[in-house]
Amino acid sequence: MEAFYVWLRETISTQATAGVLPSVLYYEFVINALFCAIVIGPLLGCVGTMIVAKRMAFFSQAIGNAALTGVAIGVLIGESYTAPYVSMFSFCMLFGILLNYTKARTKMSSDALIGVFLSISLAVGASMLLFVSARVNTHILESIMFGSILTVNNLDMNVLLVVTLITLIVGLPLYNRMLLGSLNASLAQVRGINVQAVEYIFIILVTIITVACVKIIGAVLVEALLLIPAAAARNICRSLGSFVYTTMGIATISCILGILVPMQWDIPVPSGGAIVLVAAAFFILTTIIRSVVPAFREAKV
Amino acid sequence: MQGPAIHVENLSLQLGNSPILSAMHFTVRAGSIHCFIGPNGGGKTSTLRCILGQMPHTGNIRIDWRENRTIGYVPQLIEMEKTLPLSIDNFLTIVSQNKPAFTSTRKEAKVLIDRALERVGLTDKRNFMIGSLSGGERQRLLFAQALIPSPSLIVLDEPMTSLDEGGARVFEALIKQQHDEGNTVLWINHDLDQVEKMADDITVIDKRVIATGAVQDTLSADMKRGVFSKAAGGQA
Repeated sequence: MEAFYVWLRETISTQATAGVLPSVLYYEFVINALFCAIVIGPLLGCVGTMIVAKRMAFFSQAIGNAALTGVAIGVLIGESYTAPYVSMFSFCMLFGILLNYTKARTKMSSDALIGVFLSISLAVGASMLLFVSARVNTHILESIMFGSILTVNNLDMNVLLVVTLITLIVGLPLYNRMLLGSLNASLAQVRGINVQAVEYIFIILVTIITVACVKIIGAVLVEALLLIPAAAARNICRSLGSFVYTTMGIATISCILGILVPMQWDIPVPSGGAIVLVAAAFFILTTIIRSVVPAFREAKV
Repeated sequence: MQGPAIHVENLSLQLGNSPILSAMHFTVRAGSIHCFIGPNGGGKTSTLRCILGQMPHTGNIRIDWRENRTIGYVPQLIEMEKTLPLSIDNFLTIVSQNKPAFTSTRKEAKVLIDRALERVGLTDKRNFMIGSLSGGERQRLLFAQALIPSPSLIVLDEPMTSLDEGGARVFEALIKQQHDEGNTVLWINHDLDQVEKMADDITVIDKRVIATGAVQDTLSADMKRGVFSKAAGGQA
């Protein structure tokens, strides 16, 4: 992969120097960021539609917060504080599985339960990070919450690509089963679907996606990119196909514009914030379209 | 006749320390319409779930399948937000194929979906969002998915609770159609007039089998006044 990254950066830089591409693409860190944006946009967009359908809006936020604890544990056991992936993946996986296990054994609504776990994970993570950050870097908390898409390196991109590949291989063939399980578990069971197993697989996929994206766009932004594009698309879509593809499109465009626009026009807004602002603009736009154009209020496609 | 017979022997179910069902014996005849009736909380749905293999139980449940071993299950409802962009076509694609429904519908699946929609009379609404359907249309959609693939045993879990009279008539016609084709129909139903009209056999369940047999022999006036007065009272 290293050779591919080198080739990609050199090709784009050369085109930018020659004036074929915008001058901002001369910089390697911008190319890295755009590469991540092009992978993260469709990935989070597609998974976001399922998150919305399964009403698990705050699950990824809880996982993102759990990443704080994962990082703290990583620093304590001697992993690099800039990329403690082993601790983050391990702890967040355990956290996600524990949350789902508890959900299956309590009568509490999933929103309330996720809220409880979210608060606990934030409190534990922030406390532990403040304790360990005295040794390394006082900005760890901020970088996990808001990410740093302009500082991604080859390792981050490799992790993202592997997670995307796993999601495609495991998630796509199970997509219908995951959706049916959330619409009616009994019906899914009669149709031979192991609803619990499928649910755990979904939880694990969302967990690894969230962890892979936390370093790049931050826990808060993962949540935003999972929800806002799907909410925006829902305003104007009337079928599953248009919903998924529109969500992926909005998420990808938001990522690309959020990175490029502030740089191109020297707007003093961080990339993460700009990405969410663009996605929010899409949401406002589709909300207006829905309320103004009668066709989008009707049920028929 | 392609529907299976079902033999339930000494079926018991306990969740924690609470006994839910005890020592139940009854038989569902092949190709019959068999209704489960009784008070709310009496264990009708639990019995159904044991037969479907969804609950750990003791005792013996034997299903005498013939060639076709497909179960068509019609639940009470779909749990989804009204605004979720999921059309009738999408929903039936989800149950018809493994390929993600947001990509496209396979040819073979499309044939099954077309046939099912035609049978329940929803062909002209296939592109409507599920959230925009009336209660009756939603139930017909749930019936349509039970027809994919073609079943020999239809299991209905109180699907007519929220239907108006017109919707109920349409549903009755669909059930009769299945019966005429020789399929076995297992049906939880609270409407005793409908049971009297449609069912061949009934099993009255209140934690155990109160009575079982042909509807005209079992559904006596005394029975209606006794066990079913509880059902009317909505006992939990």
